[in-house]
This record gives sequence, C-alpha cells and structure tokens, in this order.
Amino acid sequence: MQRLLLFVCVLGTFLFTILGSAQAQQRTITGTVTEAETNEPLPGVNVFVNDTNIGTSTNENGEYSLSGVPADADSLVFSFVGFQRLSVFIGNRSEINVTLQPTIQALNDVVVTSFGIEQERKELGYSTQQIDGENLTIGNQSNLVNSLSGKVSGVEITNTGGAPGRSSRIVIRGVNSLDPGADNQPLFVVDGVPIDNSTIESSGTPRGMSNRAADLNPNDIASVNVLKGSAATALYGVRAANGAVIITTKRGEAGATEIDLSSTVGFDRINAYPEFQEVYGQGFSFQHDPESFWPNWGAKIEEVRENINPDWQYYDIWRDAAQTGVQVDNSINVSGGNENATYYASVSNLQHEGVLPYGNWDRTSVRLSGDISPRENLTVQASAYYINSGGNRVLGDRFMESMMYWAPTKDVTNFEKEDGTMRGYYNNEGSGGNPIYQAKHWTYEDDVNRILGNVTVNYSPTEWFNVLYTLGSDYYSDQRTEIIPGPRGVENENVVSSTGAIEETRINSRDLNSTLNLTFRKDVTEKVSTRLRVGNDIFDRSFNNVVSTGNDFVTPLFYHLSNVRDISLSQTIRQRRLIGAYGDLMINYDNFLYLNLTGRNDWSSTLPEDNRSFFYPSANIGFTFSDIIDLPDHVTYGKLRASYSMVGKDAPVYATSNTYNTPSQFPLAGQVGFSRSNVRGSADLKPEQTTTLELGTDLRFLDNRLRFDFTWYKSNSRDQIFDVPISNATGYTRIITNAGEIENKGIELQIEGRPVQSQDFVWDVAVNYSRNRSEVIEIAEGINQILLGSSFGYAGSSASIQLTEGDPFGNIYGRSYERYYASGEPEDNIYLDKDRPIVIGDDGFPVINNDQKVLGNTQPDWIGSIRNDFSYKNFNLTFLINAKWGQDVYSQYDNFFTAFGITKNTLDREDYRVFEGVTADGQPNTQEVWLGQGLDPEGRIDPNTGLVRDYGAGYHRNVKRGATEEFVLDASYIKLRNIRLAYSLPQDLVTDLGLRRVTLSTTATNIILYTPFSGFDPESRAGGASTNAQGFTALDYPGVASFFFSVNLSL
Amino acid sequence: MKIFSKQILIFCITTVFVLTGCEGFLDINDDPNNPTEAPPQGLMTNVTYETAQNMYRMGSITSYYVQYLASPNQASATDVHEAVSYGDQWYQLYDVMTDLSDLEILAEEEGATQYVGIAKILKALNLATLVDAWGDAPYSQAFFAETLNPAYDDQENLYDEVFTLLEDGLIQLQQSNSTIVAGNEDFIYGGDITKWQQLAYMLQARYLNHYSEQTSYDPEAVLAALDNGFQSNADDAQVTYFEEQVNPWASVAIANAGLILGGWMSEQIVDHMNGTTYGVIDPRIEMFMSTNVDGDYVGVTNGAGRGNAPEQGAFSVLTTDDFYSARTAPIIIASYAEQKFIEAEAALMATPSQTTRAYQAYMDGIEAHMDKVGVAEVDKQLYMNDPVVDVGELNLTIDHIMKEKYVAMFLHPESWVDARRHDYAYDDMDPPANSSLGGDWIRRLIYPESETQRNGENVPEISRTDNLFWDQ
Repeated sequence: MQRLLLFVCVLGTFLFTILGSAQAQQRTITGTVTEAETNEPLPGVNVFVNDTNIGTSTNENGEYSLSGVPADADSLVFSFVGFQRLSVFIGNRSEINVTLQPTIQALNDVVVTSFGIEQERKELGYSTQQIDGENLTIGNQSNLVNSLSGKVSGVEITNTGGAPGRSSRIVIRGVNSLDPGADNQPLFVVDGVPIDNSTIESSGTPRGMSNRAADLNPNDIASVNVLKGSAATALYGVRAANGAVIITTKRGEAGATEIDLSSTVGFDRINAYPEFQEVYGQGFSFQHDPESFWPNWGAKIEEVRENINPDWQYYDIWRDAAQTGVQVDNSINVSGGNENATYYASVSNLQHEGVLPYGNWDRTSVRLSGDISPRENLTVQASAYYINSGGNRVLGDRFMESMMYWAPTKDVTNFEKEDGTMRGYYNNEGSGGNPIYQAKHWTYEDDVNRILGNVTVNYSPTEWFNVLYTLGSDYYSDQRTEIIPGPRGVENENVVSSTGAIEETRINSRDLNSTLNLTFRKDVTEKVSTRLRVGNDIFDRSFNNVVSTGNDFVTPLFYHLSNVRDISLSQTIRQRRLIGAYGDLMINYDNFLYLNLTGRNDWSSTLPEDNRSFFYPSANIGFTFSDIIDLPDHVTYGKLRASYSMVGKDAPVYATSNTYNTPSQFPLAGQVGFSRSNVRGSADLKPEQTTTLELGTDLRFLDNRLRFDFTWYKSNSRDQIFDVPISNATGYTRIITNAGEIENKGIELQIEGRPVQSQDFVWDVAVNYSRNRSEVIEIAEGINQILLGSSFGYAGSSASIQLTEGDPFGNIYGRSYERYYASGEPEDNIYLDKDRPIVIGDDGFPVINNDQKVLGNTQPDWIGSIRNDFSYKNFNLTFLINAKWGQDVYSQYDNFFTAFGITKNTLDREDYRVFEGVTADGQPNTQEVWLGQGLDPEGRIDPNTGLVRDYGAGYHRNVKRGATEEFVLDASYIKLRNIRLAYSLPQDLVTDLGLRRVTLSTTATNIILYTPFSGFDPESRAGGASTNAQGFTALDYPGVASFFFSVNLSL
Repeated sequence: MKIFSKQILIFCITTVFVLTGCEGFLDINDDPNNPTEAPPQGLMTNVTYETAQNMYRMGSITSYYVQYLASPNQASATDVHEAVSYGDQWYQLYDVMTDLSDLEILAEEEGATQYVGIAKILKALNLATLVDAWGDAPYSQAFFAETLNPAYDDQENLYDEVFTLLEDGLIQLQQSNSTIVAGNEDFIYGGDITKWQQLAYMLQARYLNHYSEQTSYDPEAVLAALDNGFQSNADDAQVTYFEEQVNPWASVAIANAGLILGGWMSEQIVDHMNGTTYGVIDPRIEMFMSTNVDGDYVGVTNGAGRGNAPEQGAFSVLTTDDFYSARTAPIIIASYAEQKFIEAEAALMATPSQTTRAYQAYMDGIEAHMDKVGVAEVDKQLYMNDPVVDVGELNLTIDHIMKEKYVAMFLHPESWVDARRHDYAYDDMDPPANSSLGGDWIRRLIYPESETQRNGENVPEISRTDNLFWDQ
C-alpha cells in the first residue's frame, strides 16, 4: 500500500511538472522524411506536434513545413501507415529530417528474453516469436492466452468454451509429462517478474474458472515474446521448463503527455449448433406421453398436434435457452514524461455477460508504472498493478445436461413458477431440472483481488558493467461462494437439491521473486567481444486455501453457513521456495557468429535435502552466414542457429514424506478418524531432466520483404516425477517416483512477407505452421498404462485417455464395434482397425467389443494460421485464419444426443436396415432389422420366440450409445480467428477536433469456416486449463463467435 | 579479465553467503496439511467405520449374485456375473488392513492391549472377507511397501492367519492395564471389551463353519466357539450411521429416487418373501423394500432388466423408509441371528446330529432377526407358527436353515459364502438371464485391474467358476 501511495505522489509530481509548463512563442520547423531501407522520400506522412493538434503532412518529395510550433513543444511525431510511429525531440532545431522504419520485422529487431533484457534476434541461437501489443489485441480477447491463438508457431491454445472469464490452456511443443496433473504450461513473466497463471478449478464438476493470466488487461501489454525451447528458458530455471511467455507492459515515453481512450462493445453468440430433430416429441416407444421423463422418444409432434393436442409444438429450446452475450470494455491510459522520468497509468473495466444466462465475469484493473533516471547511468522502474476480477460461473456442464433431458415440446424459458419454485417438464411440471432456473439459483461466484508489484533498479557504473535487480510480488485473494438452493418449503416442489448446500472458499496466494543480474562486457580483440551475465534469483510461494462446506439448510432461502445441519472444513497449505544461480557467457565473433554458454544451479525446497541442488547447462550458436558469404542479391539475410540444452524440474510439494490424513467424512459423532495416506512419498527423489536439441534458420529476401524462419526440435523429458500406481496390497495406491520418458519432436515454420507496398496500399502476410509428434518412450517398471482421464458415456461407452509405452501421447480408448478377423484377432492388438468389416450378431445388430481399443488421438496433426493485413490510406483490414487439424475428441454430447434421440441422426428410428458387415463366420450380413423401439411395426416374427419381434429400447439406446467408437470424432477445424476493419479518421479532421488520433474498428472473431465435427464448437474442451487430459467435450460450455465495435481516441 | 574475476568473486561470496544463510530457508517441505503420525484413537475410529463400509461395499456386489438385488438394466455386468474388476472393494479392504497394521504396531508400542486386540480381530474379519471373495491374496508381503510386487499367499494359509489373529486378539483383550482404554472412538462397541471378545468367538464360529464341505469340518468346534459368542441382539457388531453421513444403502435409495438407478429388488428375494415361493408372506418384506405404484411387491429378474418399464414405480426398491436403507440404519457386521443359524447348521451337522439344539437355534434365529427389524409380535408369531416355517424338529434340513438365514443376512456379503456352500440351491433360484457364464454360477471374483496391471507377475490365473478351497 505504501508503494502505491508513493506512486501516486510521484505521478502527481510528473503531471504537475508537465501540465504546468508555460506557453511561449511559436516557431516553424521544416524537414524531409525518408524511407529507412531505400532512402526514398516518403509522401503523405503525418507530422504533428506531440500533445497538440498542430500538424501537417509531407509533400510528394517527402518534405514538410510545420508552422505555429510552440516554443516549449518538446517533440514531433511522424506517423504513416505501414511504418513505425516515430517521436523526435525538437530541442533548438528548426530542421528535422527523419527516416521511418517499415513495421515489418526489421533486420536487427530486438526481442525481450530473460529478465526483461532486450536482445538482438541476431544473437540468439534458438527460436523465439514476438507479438506486439497491437497485433495481440486485434481479436479483442479479454483473456491474454486466447489472444495468442494462431499467432505463434509451436504453441497450442485450447479454450474451454465461450464462458466469460474461462481459462484457456497454452502448451508449447507438446506435453512433456506423464503425470495427468503436472503443470505443462509455460511460465508467465511480466516485466521480468514471474507471475502466477494457475487455474484453480471449482470443486465438483469444473465450472471453468479463470487462469490467472486472464487478470491482465491486454491493452496494457506492449509485446509478448514466446520462448519455446529450454535453451531460451535455461535462465529461468525449473519453473520455465515448459517454456516462457515474456510479457512487456507499456511504459511511458519521453515527450508530451499522451492520453488514449479505448471503448469496445461486443456481442457473443454460440458459433455452431448440432442439428436437432424436430419430428418426435415426449414419450417412449413412439407413444405420446406429455408426462414422460423421455424427451424425444415419443410420437410425432405433428401427429399429436393434429389428433390429440392442438397446442403440442416443437420449441427450439437450445437456441431459446441461450442469449446474446454482451461485453463492454473501456480503458484509459495516460503516459508521458521527460528525459529523466516517464510514467504510464491506466484504468480499465470489462464487463462480460455470457451466452448462457446468469453467467458473467468482470475485470477492473488499475496500473501505475514509472521510470526514473536520477543519473544517466541509473534507472529505477517501479509498477503496481491492481486487479479485481470475478463473476458468477454458470455450471455449463450441468446446464447442458439439463438441456439434454428437457423435452422440446415444453417451453424451456418458462422456468419459474409463481411461488418461486422450479417448473419441471414432466409429472405435472413437478419433475425435471430446468437449466435456466438452475443457472439462476445455483450460483458460484468468485471475487479475486490481486496486486502485482515490482521494482527494478538498473545501474551501469561503467560502460562494461551493469547491475539489474528486480523485486516482484504477486499477491491475490480469491473468495468464492457456491450456493445450491435447497427446498423453498413449498409442498411438492421440484427442487434443485433436496438439502441445499453452501460452500465458502478462501484462497490466499503470494509469490515473491527476487532477481539479481550482473552483466559484464569486454571486447577481447577487435573482432571478439564477450558478455558475461551472472545472477541469482529467489522464489517464494505461499498458498493457503480454506474451504467450508455446509449441507442441508434449516431455514429455506437463508443461505448462510450458520443455517446448515452439517458443516465440514478443509484446508490446504502449500509452500515452495527456489534459489537459483546462473552464468551466461556470450562470445561474439565479428557480429556474425555468436556462441552462448549457460549454466544454472537450482536449489528447491521440494526435493530431499541431498538432491535439492542440481546443475544444468546449455549451449547455442547463432551464425549469420549472409555477413560473410556472398549471396544472390535477392537474399538479404541468412542465419543458422543450433542449440542443445538441459533444464531441470523439481518435485511437487510434500512428495518426500509419508503422512496420515483425515478422510473427508469426519468428524462423525465428535470423533476424527485418521488413515494412512495413499500416496507413498519418496525420500530420494531427484530432479526431472529435459534435454532439447533445436536447429533452425532465419532467411530474408527482397530487402526484408519476405522472411522465412524454420525450426526443428526434439526434446526428451526423463526421470519424470510422477505418481506411479502400485498394487494396493502394498498399503498405498501410488508411489511418487522418478521414472519414465516422453519425447516430443516437431517442426515450426514462419513466413512473413509484404507482397505489396505502394504509397497508399500495403499488404502484409504472415503464416505459421507447426507439427509435433510425441512418444511415450518409457513409463515405469511394472506399469503398462497411465490413465490420464476419462469421460462418462452411457451403457459402458465411457472413454479414457491412456498413456502406453511406445505410443503417442493422448490415445483415446473405449468400446468399439467388433471387427472381423478370419483367424482371430491378435491378442495384443490395441488399435481399432476401421477398415475391417464389422461383425454383425445373430440379432442383426453390430456386436460391441468390450475390450478397450485405441479409437483416436487427442493431439493435432498440425496447427497452422495465415494472417493478412491490408492497409489502404486510412483503412486497415486484417484477418487471421487458423486451422487445427487431425485431432480427435470424445463427444459426450453425441453420446447423450443418441441416448435421448435429440439430433437428426436419430431420425432413422422408423427405418429398416441391413447393417453392413459380416456375421461371425465371415459371411456378409443379410438380416434386416428395425431401428425403432418396441414391436416390429410390420409384425415380422422373431424366429427365436415365434412372436412379433420386440426391439425393446431400440437400436440407438441398445446398441449405438454403447459404442464409444461412434462418439470419438474428428474435431479438426478451420476458423476465421479474427477479422477487423479499422478506419483512422483523416489527420486534418482529427486535428480540427482537437485530437491526435481517432480509430474506429469493427471485429468478428471465432467464426467456424470448416469442420467435419457436427456439434458445438469443435475447439472447446472440458476440464479446465490445468489438466493434461484434454480431449473430452463433456457437456461443457459451447464456443461462441463475437462481434465487436471499438473506438480508440488519442489526445 | 582481472576485473571480471574480482566481480565474479564478489558475487560468488555473496551467493555462498546467501545460500548458507538460507539452508533453513529451503527446509519447508514437511507437509503442513497432514501429520506424519496419527493418534491411535483416530485410527480406531477410521477402521471401525471403514470395516462397516466394507460390509456394504462387498454386499453391493454379492447381493446381485445371491439375488437380493437385480439391475434395472438388461445384462448389467454384475447382474450377469461378468468378469468385473472390483478395484474399489479390493482397495478398501487393503486400506483398512493397512491402517489396522499401523494401529497394531502403534498400540503395541504404547502397551494399549485393548487396541492391539481389537485391531487383530478386525484384521481377521477384513482378511476373511477378502479371501472369501478372491481366494489367494497378498498378505505376508503386504501393507508396508517392502516390495512393490507383493507375492500372493495361499487362501488356506490365510484362513489359518484369520484364526491366529482371532486367538491373539482374544489373548490381548484378556490383558489388564491397557494404556489406552477404548471408548467412543470405537464405532462398533463404544469400547465394550466383553462384546469384542464375544465377536471374536462369533467370528471363529463363522469361519470354522465355512469348512462345512471339507472333511476337516468340526461342528463341535463351531458350537464350542459360539458358546462364548453373542447372547442377544444387543451384542450385534454394527455401526449405526449418522445424519451427516448416511447409511450407504440409504445413499443408494436416495440416488435411485433421483433417477441414478440402484437398489432394485430381485424377483428371487421378492418371491421368497411375498408368498410366491413358499406360500407364506414373510412380514419382514415391508421392512426390506417398497411396493410398486400398485402396492405390489415386484422384483426384476436378474439379468433381464426392467424392459420398457419406467425408472420409477414399477418395481420394488430400497427406500429410506426401510430397515436396511434408512438414513441412520446400522450396517450389520455380525449378528446374533446369524450366529443362531450357524449354531443350527453346526448342531444339525454334528455327529450325532443335535437336532433339538439345531431346531431351537433355527427358531431363535428367525425370532432374533424379526425382533431386530421390528416385526410386530402378532405378525412374528403368525409367521413362526406357519407350518412352512415351523417344520418340526425332525423335519429340519439344511435347506430350511439356509432359506431362513438367506432372509436374515439380507444384503450381507456372508450370504454369498452361504450360497456357494449351499451350491445356490435355494428354491426357484436360477442363473441370471443373459448369463455371462452360460448358466454356471459365479464362485469367485477375478483379480482387479489394479493388480493385473501393477502386480501382474504375481496374480494367480483363475476363472470365475473356480471354487475356493472351502467350496468343494
């Protein structure tokens, strides 16, 4: 808090100084603007005095003359479409000539790597990819992770549906853990300070809580750099073993005060629906029954309307229950400063209502940062970031499950009776849960208060020596309240829960990071220069979560912990500390050959004392061959790079000891029971190790108008620390051990180009492509399989994701139709051979094989994207098309659609069919069967009984819904990730209005262009960002497309 | 380079200083959430509670085999004796025996002889329950992770261990000066050591009686053991459930009411009690189950499923109004009624046959159970005087005893032992429809996947139709 106060004081002083500067005489400034690469004059460039409406533009010779410049004006701004905006100090000059750099990645572009240190890309022997803030915010995604989607090769983003504030998962170059719960997401670093990006899911069915990086306001971000391999992250130590996302926030620039206002309103709608059948209504076995539990197996709606009930009708309940989501995002930032001090302050507010009613998420952030240079060789930066976020999280899975049961012959939106109780759809409205009623009353609200703070001191006492010290903290509290309403005390009411419950969750998390970095530079000879960095960092995390659960309300509608019959409490405390020390030596030979050697030692609190210290090195080399070899004229630049690196990883907390715990049912009758913990700790754990080999090249052609970047990598993670399941007879169910190995290898390709560049028109294209292949090389002795996760399916059709030795990561297992093998199926065959004929049983229906077979794989074959950016005069059109190809998903939706006869593919229920396949003896099947329920309508006799054949619950319920194979589906997609049309008001007009810039834009995001998947958005995955078991839809929140309208003003 | 070295030196000194000063800084990995030692009383609470739970867990399988329950779904795996991996039951039995092993050691260290005695008796009970379902099982190399692949002990040797545990338990309970006096943390008897001793004898009788098909069967030994056993229903070993933690069968009933189907009655038990099979209505039927919407007791044929019947109202099910599935109903571990039927069987089988004692025990067993579940005196007498029940001393056969014991052991896993010893020879009992064993009866459980996957080389090759050693 004191730091915050200090900031307010400092900022106040700045503002006072700047605003207080007096007016004086005017002058005229002239000059020429040229293009940096070609030195050609640039016509049409906007030139104006910073912080004023005094401006002009260059003529056809690139010349300008700007009169009426106030004597105290300190800088001129030059801006032109397709070029980097430039701000220049005026000083005493009356002639200012400038060159403008094209906005395409320039040759010696600078990227931010470890600890907020800027490095020239040329120096790097490994692949990184940087996205600037403007590109980041094009899609108006409120979650920073989503805004990376399709923009970086080698990075897989998985969203968990379109709910406001929901978590998104980011994985770089594949999963490298065998443990389902292991963290495989990269470390997030903001201005040199690692922050917490964990997702703490709700208890019970996951509601899709936020990943904590969603707290960051994307408008505050200047750039994001993704460090992919462990070479790039060796310097961050164990926490960056999965890569790192380096975020640099906007800071003030020397010059006049700049104020930016941005306002966006957006509308969401569900972007894809399955095809629902509208023919059959409530009942079973083709019988009309308006009081039946069965929503869709009854008589034809039209026949009932004609013959029985003229009011009987079909409601489009899936669209009726959803609404248009609305989001409003406003932000303002003020920045400026002088040579000695700059500042940046922003305030933003986002309010987002989801497409499923009663769900929302809001975020308010306040950010203050300042840089002071009291002396030329000393800079002190500090910032404080306060965020309040949270909302009511609709339980999407429960909502959609209730939709499954709801009869489309009843109005789903008429959900509440006059007495406040839930209106059901059968048993005289007394039974059947209504999704909207449940969403309204069964609430789960989170309220996060978070403060990110950091101070950085950068001191260069001599030219060859620099000290950088950063101290950062990340503190948040997350208060959650879940209310499950109990009975309201009305007779025969349709209850959400027969008891009701309240759950209060109090999470407190605090991270501290201290980083000291010393840099020494020395030119050894004229051609050889060296740079040595040594450093130390300390990390301390403290986490405390207390959950109190109360069940069974005494007084209806009074939702308080004091008003329950049964209370239970639980507490989780976690503490983790790390100390790291590292060295990083860079040897530069003649500015074209760079050799970089690093070594790091970590000490982790989570490992046994004897093994807590571990060292790992890396080496990489960057060779700019274009500097020493004569290349054809059209080749501008060429670089080869190679790296080999190791990175260690420590254990989860408290994995080294054995404990007793209190099973959750206690206390009972005043007694507390204890039981030995099921997980056996290991007192001799050693760190995990990942080695990565990476080779790549960066080629640029035609004066940098075409850039081509290719990377090949292979990483092996060994000695994995994970829970190995063991025989329960040992007294444990799992033992924590070091075992197993997983390999990921793949390629990444980026192509960037500017096909057209003329005076008024610029066209930029960027392509990203990546593919990753994984293999589980080894699990652990005596263990054949690791269960990553499973998803329910009716009639034994549950699917699971299992890891087996020698197979790729992410295989989906389940029941399939039996396939015909003339000489018997090989016993160890675990892959389903879909090319073989299906075995048809004596009953004429496909035979279901209960053995678990591999039915698909959750990992994509490849991910690709193409971005086009067109600028014509004041218009800019940009769109990003993104494809994820060849990944399978187990669709619980389709399993339920089949079980309940919801979708169009159950309209064959009155058909006769001869199933394609062979009988047990290999002969083609010829038996014709009926697909409906009950007795054969044509009265065909069942030879076994001599009676009319009774098909019971029918094909869909008796056969199809029990075959997992039917619901493991290709979820490939091509999406229009975003498209934006922006228009900048002409400078003259803007100037007349007293403004500096005005941009209007409209954006659409997440529009499905193609998918073989028939249901909701194929991209959405259940389970939250934190689990490695990605590949199930569950019945979770559907994906949405959004449409935005934005205004950006600068004054 | 000279300056480099100096700077590096300074840094290294600083780092070393920081690290040495911080040795304690990293010593924070002792789990603050869970203790490394447990109080013996806490272990006692858990093992008594979980032993009762285990009776439910095993009963939730065996009740389908002995046809108390039937699945509402056609050809449901358990219902048709499929090879199902009952990993949870296996795990829970080992979990309790693990805690009992720890409790035994801890109590011995502290000189808490009462605790040692109780631990041994409960271990015997859980071990026998395990063996009676699976046969051979890891024991001598189990519980302390000395090996991750514990060997399997022979089932007969494990039975020897059961008797040893019971005898050693009795010896411990006869010691005075236990440093811990058992009390309310004991959910079964609230620290009543006399009753624990009675239970040990009752269990001796139960497990000796399992040898009924063996040449080594010694009815006299059974009778001698149960003379020291229970004296009345008040001695029953059971755990009464709690409002905040309801009886697990009540949970089944509550879930069924919420359409998560379970606890549906088999046609077998319904016909057994509603007069269909024997022509006399057993008044306990209304304490066991609900009627359907028409007021009739109707069961599902095992393996056949409910057909087109709706989820509710067509068949008899467990409800929270019934004796065994009320919210705070007890889970019965061992009962006086069961002991009486053991007595009847042993007396009948003794050489020479003690028919008077057998008949008295048979009738006492019926009466004890009727009292237990709360049958009105009039109804009790009516049933007990019916000639189908009151068959007369000279006409008493093992079938009569097993028929009545079948009712008295409702939902208890011991009933499956009886069914196998009795070769499923209950009146009108047929293998389930859609039997996965082609009409043969299931004789044991297959080993769970947790064992075949994680301890594969030690797992014996067995089939579901292989008899256990006492079932020949």
